[in-house]
Amino acid sequence: MSQLPTYILERVFDAPRPLVWKAWTDPQLLSRWYGPNVETVIHKLDVTQGGLWLNEMKMGQSSGYHKTEFTEVLEPEKLVCLMSNADADWNVTANPMMPDWPKTLLTVVTFQEVGKNRTALRLEWTPHNASPAEIACFENAMENMGKGWGAGMEHLARVLAELADA
Amino acid sequence: MSGDAGEGTVRGECRPRGVDKCANQYNHKVMEQIGYKNSGPDLDAIFLALADPTRRAILTRLAAGEASVKELAAPFKISQPAVSKHLKILGRAGLVERGVDKSRRPARLNPEPMAEAVQWLEAFKAFWSSSFDQLDELLLSMKDGEEGKTG
Repeated sequence: MSQLPTYILERVFDAPRPLVWKAWTDPQLLSRWYGPNVETVIHKLDVTQGGLWLNEMKMGQSSGYHKTEFTEVLEPEKLVCLMSNADADWNVTANPMMPDWPKTLLTVVTFQEVGKNRTALRLEWTPHNASPAEIACFENAMENMGKGWGAGMEHLARVLAELADA
Repeated sequence: MSGDAGEGTVRGECRPRGVDKCANQYNHKVMEQIGYKNSGPDLDAIFLALADPTRRAILTRLAAGEASVKELAAPFKISQPAVSKHLKILGRAGLVERGVDKSRRPARLNPEPMAEAVQWLEAFKAFWSSSFDQLDELLLSMKDGEEGKTG
């Protein structure tokens, strides 16, 4: 099989690496930033090899559940985990809205010091134990996002937001 | 019911407020009049729709399933008319459809104009980008807190 598609997001934070690490590994802090404008309930967070992060995002009457298993923990520079969509009983399951989206994504989070008190965060997602349909779905999304859609979208959106606020 | 009330509120809000907020709506009406509306996905409308963090969050929420205005308003700490306004902007971009159920009119993600999978990845990306924005703020407050203690 050829190489699996990998989706990457990077962001540099104006904070020292231990602080960024703490924000990821302390449940109180993690629940404050993870999940945009939703109530995040962390049912369990055990950042050790084989440990679980059970996450619920409350969205009105329904909730979204994610189950994450840490497979490698290298403080303060690297977290490797399997992030899965789950049902309310924490069984890994496909999202009914998008059945071909990979149920589980192998996620590598890298914390890199860049200069004084700045930290580059890099997240890489790769389909894990995925069916050919899941891999195709993921790959298709990435390819088309690169072509015109997505690429400059975020930047443009930010510019528009600034214009709207001006 | 709430949907209709929302539309009224949008117009009501629009008149007295600053030009900035309404300019895009008026521009859009002008564009419609000169026949721009049916020329395929309206990138301006989509970019405008995605420019707002609450609307991105609404899209993320709708990716998990359809929801009424009331259900959408609950977690966002904003009023139902405000949600209706956001849905209208998302609807104009073709990103969200409203159901025909008169009493509830649930909103749902529209697989067009973006390919479904692309849209899903966009929502995924928006989810993380918004989360990172929040992480940014959190780190800032943590730093302030620490500096306050030690310095």
